[in-house]
Amino acid sequence: MNYLLFICSEGEPAPEAMAVMQRECPGWVEEMAGRGVRLLGRELELPETATTVRVRAGETLVTDGPFAETKEFMAGFDLLECADLDEAIEVAAKHPASWFHTIEIRPFMDGLRLGEEASAFAREDDSAGTPYLLIMWMGGTPATPLDDEAVTQEGEAWRQDVEARGLHVLGNALEGTDTATTVRVRDGETLLSDGPFIETKEFIAGIDVVSCADRQQAIALAAAHPIARYHAIEVRPFHSE
Amino acid sequence: MTTPAVQRAVDAAFREEWGRVLATLIRRTGDWDLAEECAQEAFADALRRWTVDGVPERPGAWLTTVAGNRAVDRLRRARRGAELLEQVGRDPTGAPHATMDVHKIDTDEDGGIEDDRLRLIFTCCHPALPLEGRVALTLRSLAGLSTAEIARAFLVPEATMAKRLTRAKAKIAGARIPYRVPPPHTLPERTGGVLAVLYLLFNEGYSASAGEQLIRAPLCLEAIRLARLVAVLMPDEPEASGLLALMLLHHSRRHARLDEMGDIVTLEEQDRMRWDVDEINEARALLRASLRRRAPGPYQVQAAIAACHAEAPNVAATDWSQIAALYELLLQLTPSPVVSLNRAVAVAMAEDVEAGLALVDELAQQGTLTDYHLLEATRADLHRRRGERTAAIAAYHRALAAARTEPERRFILRRLAEQQDRR
Repeated sequence: MNYLLFICSEGEPAPEAMAVMQRECPGWVEEMAGRGVRLLGRELELPETATTVRVRAGETLVTDGPFAETKEFMAGFDLLECADLDEAIEVAAKHPASWFHTIEIRPFMDGLRLGEEASAFAREDDSAGTPYLLIMWMGGTPATPLDDEAVTQEGEAWRQDVEARGLHVLGNALEGTDTATTVRVRDGETLLSDGPFIETKEFIAGIDVVSCADRQQAIALAAAHPIARYHAIEVRPFHSE
Repeated sequence: MTTPAVQRAVDAAFREEWGRVLATLIRRTGDWDLAEECAQEAFADALRRWTVDGVPERPGAWLTTVAGNRAVDRLRRARRGAELLEQVGRDPTGAPHATMDVHKIDTDEDGGIEDDRLRLIFTCCHPALPLEGRVALTLRSLAGLSTAEIARAFLVPEATMAKRLTRAKAKIAGARIPYRVPPPHTLPERTGGVLAVLYLLFNEGYSASAGEQLIRAPLCLEAIRLARLVAVLMPDEPEASGLLALMLLHHSRRHARLDEMGDIVTLEEQDRMRWDVDEINEARALLRASLRRRAPGPYQVQAAIAACHAEAPNVAATDWSQIAALYELLLQLTPSPVVSLNRAVAVAMAEDVEAGLALVDELAQQGTLTDYHLLEATRADLHRRRGERTAAIAAYHRALAAARTEPERRFILRRLAEQQDRR
């Protein structure tokens, strides 16, 4: 089963924490890739660089900043292929980020779709295009009455179109937040809790990574997705050295 | 027509076999709802068929077979694909066989079913489930309580409890929580989690207020039944026996611990003739056996403390120095200010009140128990023992200010009145 690990930060980590994570992460990546459980992962730019896209009455509305105005933010993600939740928890608890931050584990609803660009993206080779993360926010009151079936179908058509254009790197819909588990490791003890990290009436319904010429193209792709009409899509650039 | 004898046999089978039948069916189908429905149908079938054919020699095997056949029928009807059908027909060794029959089930019972109930309890108590969901699912799946019964016991509407159960099952399926006994590297931690759920269940029943006793006290019996099951299924886990012993020792005092008002009667004032001797003896035997394994844990130590009380004819004849030593050990295993306070009491009773008071003062200075009425109530009690009436009264007043419930306040007021009467 494919799981998404969201690295959730409660604010800028202390320099010592940063140093520990930078030192320890390569070992974790090596171990988990060796076991075949970690597919790939990337670090995001800070949330100030986010753009939130909504489409209302046919018009694309773009606002600066992340969708959720909380001090918590998503700092990056890792994608796993695990036998079950226990294995995903074990992998997450060994992630150095779990010692300082919180990791939210979310299963993908119908598996993760990986495009041809995924391996270059994983290597942080962005020469073919700049990758952007599209975070699909749902919940709360939709802008217009919501037809789940239609959103699913349109979302699928959107993904196929983006794939056909060679712009889809990876992504898919996630299982509901009822299936979320958060993991923190403190003093060597693994602490689990049920539910998503940010508990608001809005929730993340899926993620996609698209490869674009620039931010404008990423915004245009987000605006073409049905969720932009009902709710909102957060567009986030990735960190690169 | 169903005779009373058949009804009794089905009722008894339900108590004994529900968890077993369900646990096996969940393993074979991987579908909790389907398993639950088929298990229910099998019990309904039993009522009809046992009336005609007589009660089978092994009701559990009969029920598992019938429920399994029901599941196969349903899956076939629903055309849910060859894959699931194959899973249902597969025996625990993994070898598929075309149909399930009594003989196959019989071999199963000798090997797999015991493990299935353990699988079920570890899954129900998985730490990624919300705690209230763990408790509800354990009662529903292993103890066979209905949603309505669980809702009543937890004083919530039935719809709320139904939602809790549905959510927990949806998470197991959606997040793929494995149906298994955890592997060795996580087993100790996860076993602790299972025991904690059972102890919580027990305490929900045990700490019920007088008005709630009738509907909540049965939770104690369910918790004891489940702890007994886990202790049998995990013979190498002394903490499981320790927990069972601890529950039995608490439970043995149930008739003596509340007065007519429904107020708590302290251990000191309880009528020890009303303690349940059978439960005490069973607990002591369990504890002796588990302590021989020389792997003490918090439940065994707490049970050992409770056993010291159970063995003493009265407060004065209690082995307080043994209790103080056990609290010392408990403090090392699970450091907590409440344990420290209990240790202070035991020290005061064993050696001298002065030493106990010094420990209480030390605790008070740490400041973690400032809102806990028993800190001042203990201090008051120790002053009372030393005949320091003024200090005792002052401490009782502070305890009164910190007390949160009516019975707590009544208890302190009673003690206060005793002091003032001595004027």
